[in-house]
Amino acid sequence: MAIIATQNLTKQFGGLVAIDNLSIEVRENSIHSIIGPNGAGKTTVFNCITGFYRPEAGDILLEDRSLVGFLPDQIVQRGVARTYQNIRLFQNLTAMENILVGLHGHLKAGFVGIVMRSPATRREEKEAHAEALRLLKFVNLTGKGDLLAKNLPYGDQRRLEIARALATRPKVLCLDEPAAGMNPKESQDLMDFIRHLRDAVGITILLIEHQMRVVMGISEMVTVLDYGRKIAEGTPAEVQCNAQVIEAYLGRGSATAQPCAA
Amino acid sequence: MSSALTQRFPGINYGFIGGVCLVILSLIGMVETFNQREIISEVITMGQTLLLLTAAFIAYKGASRASGTGQAAVIGLTTGLVTAVILALLVLLGKSVNMRQVFINASPVLFQILIFQQEELWVGILLLLLAGLITGLAAGLLARVSARPRSILITGIFTLTFVGMLQDTLSPVFSEWGALSGFNELLFAANGLSISGAVGLFTAVIAVKLLWNWKSASTQTAVRSMPPQARKRLNLVFAIIGVFVLLILPQVLGLFLSEVLTIIGLYVMLGLGLNIIVGFSGMLDLGHVAYFAIGSYTIAILTSPELGFFSFTFWQALPFAIVMGVVTGILICTPVLKMRGDYLAITTLGFGEIIRLLVLSDFLRPWLGGAQGIGKIPKAAIMGFEFTRPQDLYYLILAGCLLVAFIAWRIRDSRLGRSWMAVREDEDVAQAMAINLVSTKLKAFAVGAGFSALSGAIFATKLSSVYPHSFNVMISINILCVIIVGGMGSIPGVIVGAAALVGLPELLREFAEYRLLVYGAVLVAMMLLRPEGLWPEAQLARELKGDDATAETNNQTPAAAGSQS
Repeated sequence: MAIIATQNLTKQFGGLVAIDNLSIEVRENSIHSIIGPNGAGKTTVFNCITGFYRPEAGDILLEDRSLVGFLPDQIVQRGVARTYQNIRLFQNLTAMENILVGLHGHLKAGFVGIVMRSPATRREEKEAHAEALRLLKFVNLTGKGDLLAKNLPYGDQRRLEIARALATRPKVLCLDEPAAGMNPKESQDLMDFIRHLRDAVGITILLIEHQMRVVMGISEMVTVLDYGRKIAEGTPAEVQCNAQVIEAYLGRGSATAQPCAA
Repeated sequence: MSSALTQRFPGINYGFIGGVCLVILSLIGMVETFNQREIISEVITMGQTLLLLTAAFIAYKGASRASGTGQAAVIGLTTGLVTAVILALLVLLGKSVNMRQVFINASPVLFQILIFQQEELWVGILLLLLAGLITGLAAGLLARVSARPRSILITGIFTLTFVGMLQDTLSPVFSEWGALSGFNELLFAANGLSISGAVGLFTAVIAVKLLWNWKSASTQTAVRSMPPQARKRLNLVFAIIGVFVLLILPQVLGLFLSEVLTIIGLYVMLGLGLNIIVGFSGMLDLGHVAYFAIGSYTIAILTSPELGFFSFTFWQALPFAIVMGVVTGILICTPVLKMRGDYLAITTLGFGEIIRLLVLSDFLRPWLGGAQGIGKIPKAAIMGFEFTRPQDLYYLILAGCLLVAFIAWRIRDSRLGRSWMAVREDEDVAQAMAINLVSTKLKAFAVGAGFSALSGAIFATKLSSVYPHSFNVMISINILCVIIVGGMGSIPGVIVGAAALVGLPELLREFAEYRLLVYGAVLVAMMLLRPEGLWPEAQLARELKGDDATAETNNQTPAAAGSQS
């Protein structure tokens, strides 16, 4: 069953059609990748799903309920969280505070409760603190919680961003190029981590990635976009041999030299 | 000046900078005005100190690049000499040509000051050059002295300057202290410090500094190794001492200084209010005076018999004043919700002016008093005790400040405070973290405006009258400067900033004329030397918080201390 799906989704910027009649179905608890050349509209899909863009046509369904027309803060409450292509942490907050901000939607303290530090607020803060510590440990950042986000090394920042997204307790986690700028060893670790994430937390992962090794290594399903259109979909092996995909990536004429034709 | 020459003597460049600085300070009249105050009686005046310290600072900056003591001395000497030569040229020019058509402050009095009041011009010029050389050399050598004695010397010099400057406020206060008034006669002369007082003070400062250097490290480790309970007790003792000092302060300081403290206190509340909006939430609000005005006028309208609509007491009117402030904050925030950065700044600036123009308008005069304002505002009273004198008002304002600081402190480390800071850091991502931008921003404006309305309410009863011209845009700028200088987003920073930027100009009447100039210079200097502010926001050690067992491991975790950058 599809946990999240787009139906005939179309997004235009002026005359430019960034996403063209796109339908994707993501199975629950799967790792589903969206790939495509630069400018294919991958991040635009994420921006539509998380509510930053409003699509011109089509629908986005989370567990059969439409997400179109809701604000990003409402959508994250329904269970879709994301990370960003260029890391966007709260730079001048500590790692712990970043995660605590992620928990915002699950806390309820009001103004009076905060100022009076009522028992309910105190209990809630204590639980949030414990959960933030747990998430910190989950992404292997224990001991670095009180460092400012901007002072963390690159790889730690990537993992902290994932921890912050997990703090919102999502059903679907959209990762936008998590392996960007990582060396082979680091991206291997990341693949293990993403797999562990899916298995341990049981969430569905929607992944945009450029590194083919990562995509082919962990995805169960791959959707290939080019100029906003879906040109292929299937298991990594199927997609790799698709003539259209090779053409989109390598140009016309390369299809004859495809490696997996044999 | 050929580049070979400046390469050989890098002091020449610094000397030119120093010379230009001193010429400007002289021609805008600062030196002459400041000369009325003496730092050390009959030895050195404040005007001379201003020149000397500026020259010394620039020579010091130049010499701190030097690689050896000899080079540092040469750079210092050249800087001092060039600076003095430029100043001497100014004197010569001023003595021969009348520059007062353009520079009205280029008076004979100024030039006499620059040549140390000598009858003979050449003697004076020689003295000036000599003073330049000595200052330059001293500053150059200071740059080579190792850090500790240098900081001791600099602290000593600045303490002397500071105490000397404030002689005419401090001396009357000390003379009231009965047994301690002998101390006053020892320290101060009729104008400035006495020579013996200066020597004594300098020695005392050095002694205290030495003791501090000697003991502070071991004290700190001792405190750190204390069990948490003992440390808690120690904190409690310090808190009690702090509260006690705050409580007896106006009784000890007398009328004038208490008045200054009340003004600082009003700005602390305003600053903490703006700090919520600008420091925590990152929305640049240049119309903060609007809420101050609303608070004041609400009190005036509700309590003053002059208008005759209501005759509430201060305490009955106070909740209305705060609620009106909050409502205004929300009303002003609503149309600007989508704006960021400069657009927000311009719009709020406009709203601030609108409020002032409304209370000034003839149209609303029957209700708001127009240009004549509203008078006869009753004093606040508790069970027959009226807050009339500054010494009494101090307690009212202290209570207000403590309340506001307490609320700000509680919010800072909460769900609400974190959502404000997330919005400050990145609005889009904050929204993707389930933060409702509209309500978060409205809350920031509401709380900030409420704090400032409280300040305005107390301001109205303090003056017993309100006038539109008390609420001009300069107040907004002042509040913003207070939080920039103190440290954006930092609660103690606001208090330090208010004391420095509002308190000092009140104490130094000569400053008042140059207030804006000094503000500008201070802001530029702050941006260059200490962009994080005088007392920057402390990061909360959240990971270790609430876990008593980890208290001892505090000093081992890299996170605890040095992550400022």
